Amino acid sequence: MIWLVASALLFSIGAYGALTRRTAILVFLSIELMLNAAALSLISFSKLSGSLDAQVVVLFIIAIAAAEVAVGLGLIVAIFRRRETTSVDELRQLRG
Amino acid sequence: MSAGFWEILALLVLVGTGIAVVRLQNAVHAALALIANFLVVAGVYVALEARFVAMVQIIVYAGAIVVLFLFVIMLLSAASANVGADFLPRLPWVAGLGALALAGVLTFAVTRFQPPAGAPALGGGLPQALGPLLYDPEKWLYALLVVGFLLLVATVAAVVLIEPERIIAATGHPAHPRQEKKPNPPIAEQKDERAVVKR
Repeated sequence: MIWLVASALLFSIGAYGALTRRTAILVFLSIELMLNAAALSLISFSKLSGSLDAQVVVLFIIAIAAAEVAVGLGLIVAIFRRRETTSVDELRQLRG
Repeated sequence: MSAGFWEILALLVLVGTGIAVVRLQNAVHAALALIANFLVVAGVYVALEARFVAMVQIIVYAGAIVVLFLFVIMLLSAASANVGADFLPRLPWVAGLGALALAGVLTFAVTRFQPPAGAPALGGGLPQALGPLLYDPEKWLYALLVVGFLLLVATVAAVVLIEPERIIAATGHPAHPRQEKKPNPPIAEQKDERAVVKR
C-alpha cells in the first residue's frame, strides 16, 4: 500500500529535521511532521483492516498535538523572553 | 497494489513538501510547506474513507496548529533564525544516513503487513460511524474525557507559562516581591473605606 510507504518516508524526513534543525520552533515543526506521518499510517491500516478504531486514535493524536503545541510554543516564548535565544545548541543547562 | 497517477503525484508532493519543511531556511516558508503537506494528507484521508478525520485535519491541524506556529514565528522572528554553530559538524550527514536507514526499516516493516481478508466497510469514516465508537463507554469514552481534560490543562498551562508575573499578581501569591510592596487590601477594609467616603 503506497500510503504506508509515504508515511514511512514522511516519518524519516521529520526525524531528519528534528535532528538537524537548530531552533526549537523548527524542531517542533519537524515533530509535527512525524506525528502526522504516524496518523497517516494509522489511517492506512484502518482502511486495510476495516477497523474504525484507528480513526478514533487519529482524532486523539490531533487533540494531543494541539495540546502539545500550546504548551510547547508557550515554553518557547517564555524561554525567548528570558534568554533571547531558542537555539537548542545553546539551551543545554539541563544536560546531565 | 498498483498505484495510479494521482497516488504517485500525491506521494511526490508529500515527500517534496516534507523535505521543504525540514530544509527551507526561512521559517515562514517551512510552516507554509507544512500546511501544504497537511492539506495533501487530508486529501489522502478522504481517499482512504476517513472523511471526518480529513475535515478535522484541515480545521485543527492546517487551520489552528500551523497558524499558531506562524504566529509565534512572526512574533519571535529572531527566535526562528537558523543561527549558531553546530556542535557536531557532521550531524547533517549522520542524520541523513540515519533517516535513510529508518525509512528503509519502516518501509520494509509496513510492506510486510498482510491485511485480513474480508475487511468490513468503514462507513466512509463519517461522524455517524465514528460517533458511536467515540462515545461508547466500553470503547473510547473515557479516553475521550481524559483527552478533553488534557486539553484544558494544557491551555491553562500555556496561559500561565506566557505571563507568570501577571498570574501571580492576580492570585495574590505572597512569594512575589511586587506583591509584598503593595498588598491588596482585604475586601472588608475596602468596604469600610467606601463607607467613610460616603459620609
